[in-house]
Amino acid sequence: MSSETHSGAQFRVMDCNCRIGTFEKVEPPYFTDLTGLLAEMDYLGIQQALVMHSWASSWAPRCGNDLIDELLAGHDNLYPCYVGLPGATDELPPPAEFAAHVREQHGAVRLFPVNHQWDFTQWGAGDLLEALDARAVPVLIDMQQTNWNQIAEVLARYQQLPVIVLGTSYRITRHIYPLFAKHANLYLESNTFQITWGIEDVCERFGADRLIFGTGLPENEGGGALAQITYNGLTDADTALIAGDNLRSLLGI
Amino acid sequence: MSEATCVEMLKSGLRLEDELVIDIHAHMGPWYNFHIPGDGSPESMIANMDLMGIDMTVASPHIAIGPDIEEGNRQVAEAAQTYPDRILPYITINPRYPLATIEAEIARYHDELGGIPGFKFHSSCHGVDCSHVGYGPVYDYANEHGLPILSHVWDGPDQDGKTFLTRQAAAFPNISFLHAHSGNAWESIRKLIRETKLNPNVYLDIAGSGRPYGGLEYMVQEAGADRVVLGTDLPFIDVRCQFGRLLAARISDDDKRKIMGLNAKRIFNL
Repeated sequence: MSSETHSGAQFRVMDCNCRIGTFEKVEPPYFTDLTGLLAEMDYLGIQQALVMHSWASSWAPRCGNDLIDELLAGHDNLYPCYVGLPGATDELPPPAEFAAHVREQHGAVRLFPVNHQWDFTQWGAGDLLEALDARAVPVLIDMQQTNWNQIAEVLARYQQLPVIVLGTSYRITRHIYPLFAKHANLYLESNTFQITWGIEDVCERFGADRLIFGTGLPENEGGGALAQITYNGLTDADTALIAGDNLRSLLGI
Repeated sequence: MSEATCVEMLKSGLRLEDELVIDIHAHMGPWYNFHIPGDGSPESMIANMDLMGIDMTVASPHIAIGPDIEEGNRQVAEAAQTYPDRILPYITINPRYPLATIEAEIARYHDELGGIPGFKFHSSCHGVDCSHVGYGPVYDYANEHGLPILSHVWDGPDQDGKTFLTRQAAAFPNISFLHAHSGNAWESIRKLIRETKLNPNVYLDIAGSGRPYGGLEYMVQEAGADRVVLGTDLPFIDVRCQFGRLLAARISDDDKRKIMGLNAKRIFNL
């Protein structure tokens, strides 16, 4: 393991995991609006971000999705992260139409099958997953919302669907390494993957194109995630992929 | 420190070579529950510390917080002898062991190390609480020598409306009670800030996987920078996670210096 860092190197950092809007566990230090998010990004040197609105995750997906479109208008460094639902209840536009809109906006879709009470399976969400797969729309999902078996089945069936897992931990390598080996469409957010030398180990085994920078702002602070980018034993090219190039490529920007 | 501020150094990937940086919460070696790249060897840990410029880490091997304190204490003593400027040993005690064994471990490392730097309790892994009678010799020795004890939790029975930690810190004023993982979540942050206000010898360790936004700043605001210490949980958790959090925190660089090393220097009598 090298102990070289990227002294002085600057990367175009893009965060895959930001949220605005008030939320249930809001605390006084948290920011909840775009002004706060942009100030925090500037403080940490994060140039771009994929942003979800809390109303979409914690109140009404359609309202939150509409609001994020409205709020991000005019911010060319911010991209929408919509919340998806299967089509059975007709709460969002039909899956094909929804996927087309997401792609057009260079956005992504975050899924909450546990919180939103639907099944992350073929019978429960096949229509949504098929539509997203058809347009290679990146999907983000927290491991508290699914399990490794469900992830494995979705990766195998929808091979054009980029799946970015969030909210993991330092304990996951025995779970995720077999999936990395089998599925090129699996990606891992860096923030909660905190195992020692984990970033370097994934790059060595599977390549730097499998890791995506994210912070979890504003619930989590972003300095720890940033240190994984600015201090590492990787090449500048690999670091640039993790810092933002991988995500920009998936979003088509 | 160089002219760059801590947050500028973080953003530029500059090591903190001119600062004293001590990580007061580390382990060592492999672990049954998950895979650790590099297997947690001392060399792998030191290379990880070197990424950001951590001078020294205080370690208790995984085998010691798991099945065998004697082997764990032997491993960390050996690592400390091999890397005396980089690794400082915690002597770990499992109070379920016979009292004679516990006393022998303390006596052995008192002699071999020329004095024990500090003790580690992991009452949850060992399935006890911190009031266990087997910890008695440690409290007495640590109080006599003015040593720190790092514990995953300071659990024990409440009495007269006071927590076990409150009563223990008052009863053993020469011990520095380091509370591991204090900064992991808002619940623990609020609870443990109260403890720092009740006794001057309670310290908050930030090691762990949680990094709630604004939490570290709140700890400094309420408990004071003198009462917060850098811990990383290496090699469970990469040093970059908590050290990056500290460098990015919206507190003064002077406060960061205390947290990253000056407080530990005082607590460990270095």
